[in-house]
Amino acid sequence: MSNYMLIMRTVDEAAANQAMADAGIDFDKMIETMGRFNEELLAAGALVAAEGLDDAANGVVVDYSVTPPVVTDGPYGDTKELFNGYWIIDVATKEEAVAWALKVPAGVGVKTEIRRIPSIDEFPSDNEYIAREKEWRKELIRRQAEKLGA
Amino acid sequence: MSKFMLIMRATDEAVAAYAETDFAEVIAAMGAYNESMLKAGVMVGGDGLAPEAGLVVSFDQTPPVVSDGPYGETKELFNGFWILEVPTIEEAAEWAKRAPLTPGNRLEIRRVTGPEDFPADNEWVKKEEEWRANGYSPEA
Repeated sequence: MSNYMLIMRTVDEAAANQAMADAGIDFDKMIETMGRFNEELLAAGALVAAEGLDDAANGVVVDYSVTPPVVTDGPYGDTKELFNGYWIIDVATKEEAVAWALKVPAGVGVKTEIRRIPSIDEFPSDNEYIAREKEWRKELIRRQAEKLGA
Repeated sequence: MSKFMLIMRATDEAVAAYAETDFAEVIAAMGAYNESMLKAGVMVGGDGLAPEAGLVVSFDQTPPVVSDGPYGETKELFNGFWILEVPTIEEAAEWAKRAPLTPGNRLEIRRVTGPEDFPADNEWVKKEEEWRANGYSPEA
């Protein structure tokens, strides 16, 4: 099994908004179709994590081309391809990840990129920081569980 | 408190330069950075993405079409992310500035949406909250 990330971007916001309007899709309908998709992922035992992001216009960008790094208003340079949200799923093959991506309830102007997430076991296990990362990943899970239980 | 996502992207040149950097050095710099955020209690999660090419699904047609990645003409690849929980975007930017990244790299900082962004009485919003509370377990 591998973890794959489905990265959602709206490449043409105007076209995407028009397509939603044409199809009569309002905010409630959007929440419902996303909810159904997420429920399907959950029932299949494939869902690891997912988040949506606030408007890119409210974001900032840190550029490391100069020292010290410079903070500017987002999004990235001249790219119009905004990153809007993601899912991390645990499936056996890339093909299976693609099969899930094809079911994302999205329309015109939207693309999803599928990338594998390397496991910590793919890094040198005798490296001090890799050993530490294994520990802090457990610590993060413990903290999340604590928060959810609180 | 809000959650912010630090989205890492790099130009092809930056990726090439990174590949020539001593791997143990990269791991140590990233490790120390991650540890500082963990100790400050702001780290929620993070992952890096494999360098091999991904795939792209376009929803411009029905049914959607799968092609080789990355997205269209963009050369700014998405390489990994952190999610931090801090009170303001300014504080998230302060953390971002400390990331051990090289020229050609950028981090975009975006607020992660939470329950406050959605209608609380919506059936699917309620379900989502339950799923999260159960760590996305299919049995729950």
